[in-house]
Amino acid sequence: MVSGFRPPTALPSVDRVIELRELTKRDGDRVAVDGLSVQVQPGVVTGFLGPNGSGKSTTMRMILGLDAPDHGEALIGGVRYPDLNWPLKTVGALLDAGAFHPGRSARAHLTALAASNDIPGSRVEQALRIVGLSDAATRRAGTYSLGMRQRLGVAVALLGDPGVLLLDEPVNGLDPEGIRWIRDLLRGLAAEGRTVFVSSHLIAEMALTADRLVVIGRGRLLAETTVAELAAGDDSLEDAFFRLTSQATDYRGVGAS
Amino acid sequence: MNGYGFRHAARMERIKLSSVRSTWWLAIAAVVSMAAAGAGVGLGYRSHTPVATAAQILNNSLGGAIVAQLLLGALGVLTVTGEYGTGMIRSTFAAVPRRRIVLAAKVAVCGGAALTVGLVASFAGYLSGQLAIRGTAIPAASLGDPAILRAVVLTGVYLGVTALIGVGIGAIVRHSGAAIGTLFGLMFVPMIVAGLFGESGIQVGRFVPLLMLLNSIAVTSPVPGLFSSWISALLMCGYAAVAILCGGVLLRHRAA
Repeated sequence: MVSGFRPPTALPSVDRVIELRELTKRDGDRVAVDGLSVQVQPGVVTGFLGPNGSGKSTTMRMILGLDAPDHGEALIGGVRYPDLNWPLKTVGALLDAGAFHPGRSARAHLTALAASNDIPGSRVEQALRIVGLSDAATRRAGTYSLGMRQRLGVAVALLGDPGVLLLDEPVNGLDPEGIRWIRDLLRGLAAEGRTVFVSSHLIAEMALTADRLVVIGRGRLLAETTVAELAAGDDSLEDAFFRLTSQATDYRGVGAS
Repeated sequence: MNGYGFRHAARMERIKLSSVRSTWWLAIAAVVSMAAAGAGVGLGYRSHTPVATAAQILNNSLGGAIVAQLLLGALGVLTVTGEYGTGMIRSTFAAVPRRRIVLAAKVAVCGGAALTVGLVASFAGYLSGQLAIRGTAIPAASLGDPAILRAVVLTGVYLGVTALIGVGIGAIVRHSGAAIGTLFGLMFVPMIVAGLFGESGIQVGRFVPLLMLLNSIAVTSPVPGLFSSWISALLMCGYAAVAILCGGVLLRHRAA
């Protein structure tokens, strides 16, 4: 068991479906997320792919109720995030590597969040062990390297032993060993029947981690597919990704020559 | 149990408040500043002629509250803005998405802590003032005297409420520097403005926090024209309630 927690059995899998219904967010004149309708299923790792600025993070923030959609809704097992009884026990999220107070130790950070959802202290130690921060748990989180900050974020996501995991660019700042660790962790969590929704702009990494892919560009759904399907038509997965997103990339450089 | 509630959020806030160093530094500084002011006043009056009265010593030895209110006000502000400045707020709202529960928990925990520190600081100011005049002809001020006890207790209450005003301003402004600046401005600017009114300044001045502190709350008998100390303290609570309510309304619809 990769997560180190009890295998989830109590929840029927329908409680773990993430459903986006015509999710829309305007940012001034720009439409950051445009009528996005997607279902993310449990049991597999679903990659959320798109170029920088395509609306991945905004979508994730709306799922977590941190941003209010202008239209549409995001549901987890049919429930809006703010209406969940125990948010951390239902959804574990890694949004960015800085969602903590730099003056607080990792253990205090996790203990405080655990208290808010009635999660026992033993889980805090377990989460610290899983991400490998037990020895650094009393250090102030502000002294951590980027990779350690990501690990702390992953520990927060795992804290409530949730059936749904939402991770925004989790491999940012991780070294090759860390990248492999998170890949194995995510695949293991999905294999336990959890829903794993992980965003990235790195197609090569997603090819190794994800089973299903949701591809967006300029806030719109471009494709819902599998890694195998996407790679089948073209000579490489990367080419297929560029073909898919070529019309929906905001910023593009040109060759140096 | 049917989901999280205020109790859980309050436990989270208690752990958060006690696990950053700034909390302890601000609390210690608040107590030390009042104790130092009390001692300084007492020592200064030792050889003063004519011999000071008990009320004079008390009124002046609570003067450290001018500094302590800023420290505890900053504590209240940082309880909120420290989260916005660092990104912690996203973790907090992901854990407790009903944001007003978070604000209520912050009010209860920070308010409780600041009230405790405020009372300790106020008693420290009183005690060090009394210790510093021992052995002189200056009469001691006994806590058995209701007017003395009231001044000391209400000064502590005033300090605790200042932290709550800080929480409210923090929730409205969200940026540490701007919020602390706003709080300090609200403490001092109205006093200057009241001074501009000259003779009728007292009509305005009795609503000004710092003037209430120095002339109504932290004194044995209020300066004529000002509200009684209890009314002044209640007025402070009213200011805190307004700031917190405004913060609560804004909190709901803003992106975190």
